[in-house]
Order: sequence, then structure tokens, then C-alpha cells
Amino acid sequence: MKQMNCPLNGVRNIQEFAHGGEVVDQPDPNRCSDAEWAEFVFMEANTAGVVREWWCHVATAYWFIAERDTLKDEIIRTYDAGELFKERVDFTRPEAPKET
Amino acid sequence: MTILPQDFARRSFLYRELESAGATFDEVNGAAIAMACGDDAAAEAAQARSLGLSDLSVLPRTGYKGWNMATWLQGQGAEMAEQNNNVSPQADGTRIARLAPGEALLLGDDQGSAGLIEKMDGAWSMETADGCFQVPRAETNFWLALSGAETPALFAKICAVDLRPAAAPPHTVVQTNVARLNAIIIRRDTAEVPVFDLLSDIASAVYLWRALLDAMDEFGGKPIGLTALRTLK
Repeated sequence: MKQMNCPLNGVRNIQEFAHGGEVVDQPDPNRCSDAEWAEFVFMEANTAGVVREWWCHVATAYWFIAERDTLKDEIIRTYDAGELFKERVDFTRPEAPKET
Repeated sequence: MTILPQDFARRSFLYRELESAGATFDEVNGAAIAMACGDDAAAEAAQARSLGLSDLSVLPRTGYKGWNMATWLQGQGAEMAEQNNNVSPQADGTRIARLAPGEALLLGDDQGSAGLIEKMDGAWSMETADGCFQVPRAETNFWLALSGAETPALFAKICAVDLRPAAAPPHTVVQTNVARLNAIIIRRDTAEVPVFDLLSDIASAVYLWRALLDAMDEFGGKPIGLTALRTLK
């Protein structure tokens, strides 16, 4: 059984975790193009090497970040998302189109 | 007069299981709780010391979460550990389990007194408790207690986390998978024997009750009532 260290709860069997995809910057949904949004939602880089990913400890619904080496199949480090995201990200709404 | 779970609007999801286990009930906290499973009180007290499973689902409990949870609870007079996954016992017998930096679970004592829990739930409102939100644990979680010297053997079968005293001393909270259900385990040993609280999704109460009884069978585990649990010193 593979195991992963949850930053909140400690070492748990891997079946308690769900993978949440790569950590990438979210484009501003109000201003990016459809192609940029599709790239963000659907596409993965699938890097062979060290990757940074979202993982969730399902029993506590706790999302954190894991760095893994996909070539060696090793988990290098797991940490709270607060290490990367120190401030709230707000997106301003674009002005509504004027009625004609 | 015989008290039945059906006499009350609020019932444990396990009341039919308890009835078929031969339970007799008494009123606690506006609902019926199983006080005994059978007529032999001495045998049941011994059962609590070897391996007993009791349903505490009608006892008071509540929860709070949000970025401001700790500040708000402390403002109401609660004492809470800084460390996650730890229980802070309160003066009135309530236990506050810190599940995360922004989440806490409050459990009442075995007598069914709601002191601090009632006070908190009464004081809380969306307008006054900015950044602290109520989690209705009494309506969403069932609550079991497992007691006795054989509990570590039982948990070794159904849970992958090391619950031995060195790894999980009393007042430790373990949030993990138990018999394939996400559950909260809280250790609260007495001087005599290990005791664990187990809380999980209320809709799966009957499944886990039966799974536990099945897993306990080889160690001689049986359902017990609250009276036997209270005899543990």
C-alpha cells in the first residue's frame, strides 16, 4: 500500500486521497479567451519529472499540495496550500454590456 | 412506564438495531437512549471492559467552522488546543475536538447535559459570529462508543491508522477511514480500559453498526447500554 503524508492528519493510506490535478495559475475567467480557459480546465502538462499537484484527504475534505517525482514514483513533499497562496485572489467583474 | 424510541420525534438512526438487540431505553436530552441490552447488569459491565459497542447518537453535540472559529469559541468561554486533532476537556465535561485550524467538534458528556453546547448554539447567529459557522453535528453524524481491552484488536481490523497509546494517546483525534467510511475517532480512555468515540455520516449508521458487530464477533464484542459505559472508572 502506498502512503502519503497529509499535512493536517499525518500519514494515511493512499486510498484516502483523491488527486486534483496540477497546480496552475487560474486565468481571469472574465477576461481570458475561450482557448485559455479550455487550456486551464482540460489540459495537463503531464511532466515526466517533478510535478506540483493538488491532492485532497477525502476523510476531512482537506486540500493540500504535493510535489511528486513521476519518473521515480516518489512523493517528495506535501504541504498546506497556504504556503503557496498567501492572499485571497479576487477577480473583478467586467462591466455589463450596455443595452442598445 | 416503558420508554420507547418511538415516543420521541428525534431518534437515533440505530433504534431498530438496538431494539432487536434487546435494549431498554430511558429519556436523555429529549430522546430515548439505550441504557441496557439485556437484564444482567454485571455481565454488561464486564462486557464494557472486554469489548462493548454503545450508541450515543442522541447525546448533545455540535460543531463550528470558519476562519474565525477559534476566536469566536474562545470569546464564548471555550478553551481550545492550538494543535489540530486534539481534544480540550472543558470544566463542565464538554469536550472540544479541534479538527482543523478552522473547525471544531463539541461533544457533551455521558450524562446528556448540554451546558456549553446549548450556550454556544444559543449565542451563535449568522449576524454576530462573523467568520464562524454552525455545523449541525447532531443531525449529520451518528455517535458510537467502543470500549474495552479488545478495542485495539478490533480497530486493527477495520482501520489502517496506528491507534496504540504511544501513537494516539488519550484526547487524540484521528480522522480517517473506518470500514470504508470516513469517520472521526476520538480516544478517551478511562483508567481501566481504552474507550473510543466514533462519529460518521448518519445515513450510514446501520451499515457501520452491523459491520462493527460483525468485526467484533471474533473478540466476543456485543452491544451495551449507557449504564454499563458509565460504570467504567
